[in-house]
Amino acid sequence: MLKPGKAQYSYILNSIGNIIDDIIVYCIADDNYMMVVNAANEQKVKDWIAKVHSEPLLADSKWQIVIKDLKDASLPDAKVDIALQGPASAQCLKNIFGTDLGKLKSFTFTSIETKDLNLIISRTGYTGAKVGFEIFVHPSKATLLWDTILDKGKKLGVIPCGLGARDSLRIEAGLPLYGHELAGEFNISPFQAGYGWAVKLQKENFIGKEAIAKKAIDFQTEVARLEFGGGKGIRPIRQLDGILDSSGICIGHVLSCAGVGDRQIMLALIEKQYDIIDSPVGIYYLARNQNHIQQGRQEKVKIGDSLTADLAGKVVERFEKF
Amino acid sequence: MVPQNLYYTKDHEWAQVNGDTAIIGITDYAQQSLGEITFVELPAVKKQVKMHDVVAVVESSKAASDVYSPLAGTVLEVNSELGAKPELINQDCYKTGWICKLKLSNPAGMKNLLNSVQYEEYLKSL
Repeated sequence: MLKPGKAQYSYILNSIGNIIDDIIVYCIADDNYMMVVNAANEQKVKDWIAKVHSEPLLADSKWQIVIKDLKDASLPDAKVDIALQGPASAQCLKNIFGTDLGKLKSFTFTSIETKDLNLIISRTGYTGAKVGFEIFVHPSKATLLWDTILDKGKKLGVIPCGLGARDSLRIEAGLPLYGHELAGEFNISPFQAGYGWAVKLQKENFIGKEAIAKKAIDFQTEVARLEFGGGKGIRPIRQLDGILDSSGICIGHVLSCAGVGDRQIMLALIEKQYDIIDSPVGIYYLARNQNHIQQGRQEKVKIGDSLTADLAGKVVERFEKF
Repeated sequence: MVPQNLYYTKDHEWAQVNGDTAIIGITDYAQQSLGEITFVELPAVKKQVKMHDVVAVVESSKAASDVYSPLAGTVLEVNSELGAKPELINQDCYKTGWICKLKLSNPAGMKNLLNSVQYEEYLKSL
């Protein structure tokens, strides 16, 4: 059982073991849990929880469950999440709140109350940074907190950062994104994504257990992290471009890719026998426009196709060590 | 500010017409929307293009964007510096960031393009 003050990465599965969303559950108290879901899956998750809640066979009858939508700003415990990530983040929070959170362990959290703010600060994040925090604040105070962080963090180098920058970081780190490295058009399971540890098959029961137990063994492709040349003058690799083995046979597809200095780091779904560190791999760029198609470039490739590599690279460790 | 001596398309390309040749490129609006440009696919010299044919591809980490030829003609010259320095388009899209030079097959084709005042009006409407 999750203890108060601890958070856990997990999945919501449907009855056939497919992922509805990947989430983080925060245990606020023994009878109070907060769940952070992907914004894109919000409605799907709400619908699913409502459905499970309404089916006595699925729900645990020991509990009377009250579900609150913390996006509803009229609730006193409504929350939005601001992530402050990177090596100076602990110092920045110390400058603001006077509390040293540098020792807060990964996937734990604490509450901070000041005259103006009532916060949950958690050692979680989606950048791969060694140190990083997510700060949950009431929507009415989010602007105040944001401005305070930027102001007090200025000397430490704190800058605002959008979703695109966040995406480059999580790709470099090797973290999966729902719809890309989890579920999505290849219906990727946690086991393929390298997150089998997050599915507790030893538990007596959970929705989708039987179906997902089969997926734990039975898969041919898995998510690998690959590195290619990049930077100025090299065509950026895009989602669904083909991954080739050293003889030009297509062994998989690009899921996400980011430019990191003069390299391109990508997460790809490849046949698992090729997922060996330092193995040479190639990229086949899909046609980007009509001209490319006329020149004979494919719009789509599949495993087993024989192609010519446009760019050479290699398999690297599944996760970056920062 | 949009240079006054150029012609424009609604796809944010520009053309500088000199008699029966034209230099073409993408506008400041286009380069800003793309962000940091890391790759440019240039046309082959002697390639023939009709108005609105894809003449080049400009890519940033955000997107791959086709560049449509504002005029019809034959490619006379390309800005090969963009191969190693695609960022020239971000730095100076109207001068050092030019893409290619065309020998026009129909110099009167520029009548179909926007002048700088019209293009500026168009930008305001976006």
